[in-house]
Amino acid sequence: MNPLHEWFIAPFEYGFMQRGLLSALLLGLSGGMLGTVLVLRRLTLMGDALSHSLLPGLALAWWFFGSSPLALFAGALLAGLLTALGSALVSRLTRVKEDAAFAALFILFFAGGIALLGKLPTQINLSHILFGHVLGAGPGDVRRAAVVSALTLVALLVFRRRVLLETFDPVFHRATGGRGGIVHGAFLMLTVLNLVAALQTMGVVLALGLFILPAVTAYLWCENFLRMMLLSAAIAVGGALIGILMSFHAGLPSGAAIVLSLGTVFVASIFLSPHHGMLARLRRSPQLRHPAAHGPAKPHHHHHPHHE
Amino acid sequence: MYAPHHILRFRDVTVRFGRNVALDHVSVDIPCGSATAILGPNGAGKTTLLRAILGWHMPGEGEILLGDSHPQHALPRLAYVPQRQTVDWDFPITVRGVVEQGRYPALGLWRRFGARDHAAVDAALTELELTDLADRPIRALSGGQQQRVFLARAVAQGADIFLLDEPFAGLDLVASEELAHLLRTWRAQGRTVVAALHDFALAEQTCNRGVLLATRVIASGVIADVLTPANIDRAFRTGRGGVSAADPLHGIRTTRFDA
Repeated sequence: MNPLHEWFIAPFEYGFMQRGLLSALLLGLSGGMLGTVLVLRRLTLMGDALSHSLLPGLALAWWFFGSSPLALFAGALLAGLLTALGSALVSRLTRVKEDAAFAALFILFFAGGIALLGKLPTQINLSHILFGHVLGAGPGDVRRAAVVSALTLVALLVFRRRVLLETFDPVFHRATGGRGGIVHGAFLMLTVLNLVAALQTMGVVLALGLFILPAVTAYLWCENFLRMMLLSAAIAVGGALIGILMSFHAGLPSGAAIVLSLGTVFVASIFLSPHHGMLARLRRSPQLRHPAAHGPAKPHHHHHPHHE
Repeated sequence: MYAPHHILRFRDVTVRFGRNVALDHVSVDIPCGSATAILGPNGAGKTTLLRAILGWHMPGEGEILLGDSHPQHALPRLAYVPQRQTVDWDFPITVRGVVEQGRYPALGLWRRFGARDHAAVDAALTELELTDLADRPIRALSGGQQQRVFLARAVAQGADIFLLDEPFAGLDLVASEELAHLLRTWRAQGRTVVAALHDFALAEQTCNRGVLLATRVIASGVIADVLTPANIDRAFRTGRGGVSAADPLHGIRTTRFDA
């Protein structure tokens, strides 16, 4: 048989591969766009914490309702919202700042989840929950991915101006009558929804990689918010496709394979990005050693704008 | 006889944050077409005053009248210019992209960015001499240019009142001189500007009116009458004796280097 066919087409003769691929592609599309906002608002670590905190919700849902996908979805969503709301509350009512509150709560939730999964009488495989298990992708996973992805894309399209204002300049957004808190809350909500929908193929620990890695990669290449979003979504989709194939051929957990393929593009971009990469910076190094007479060195001013 | 129209009126406005009083029974009239400096020590309520105008902080007592209506009903008439340092200047956006944001509040969710909006953006870019930089990413701008981008966004809003929060913060000598020149031009054109400032010299250069705040209003009116040594002394007196405008460090431990 033709090796191309064997590598790229044959794996998708399996139903679970089709479903895993489809849900990963859909969530790559929406997650890649959300990731752009996470990266620009410096919320990436908070997103990471959020994804870890979903574990006890999954465990409890499993305990009470068995392997019902809808219950798992609801449990994880509840745990994520509790962490987000809880840390917002702790930071407002005590001296603890929001990032520290988030870190403290998520690690607590994560440990609770591990303990629950260890004690519960289920045949559930911890590594599948943590790192993704494409073999288990069912039609329900695809449906949920489609709904969440569509919801995210529509929300981003309708509120595109508000999202840009809130991401770039929350103070101006609020000064022009914008409800920053609502936009921010809705955004966290969408992030949790996307994380939960991505659990089956990506796993709790790795799901955020599908959002963050494409976005930081696009950040190295783009000078425009919209283009960064689109490139990020494209990278996420490509990485999901290659990752799912890798996981099939190399027998890797699908979450790890997707993150590794996205990570390769990121690492390559660190070096190759034309304006912000390491090689570009090395090329400019003479300028770094001789900063302009006034002000700090700003290596990317090839032609310094007129008078100032 | 000429009676100035007051575009902005504070009537006995008190703003509290929990138990802290940020503005204490403030009554001030801002004439249309004036340039008003809001001055005072740190924590005097300068930023709170600006944000109260935007309807951001609701007064616990009193009211703020904008033209004839409450500010929260007339947001497009106000242009707020935040402190430059509050945003990430490495954000992937061009100069034009930032100025276009000035049109967003009026467009709402659905309306398309139309010919009128493009015209307003182009006019704002021209006025602030940013046309040549329009397609440049904002990370390549100097501090003075960043400030002009923020002002251009406010101009593109098509507002009647410009609220500037510490516009000179972090600008070098040349850039502040440019900005002062620009603000004098605006004053000559009759644009209404309310600016929170901390530098008295710049305030006297750029504004014709002043409000000296220390939670309550110490003095307001024509700027030369506001910035008297006695008023400044009252505004900045913080339990360490008096402060004089000529020698603000008097009585504070300092080191002198005598020739």
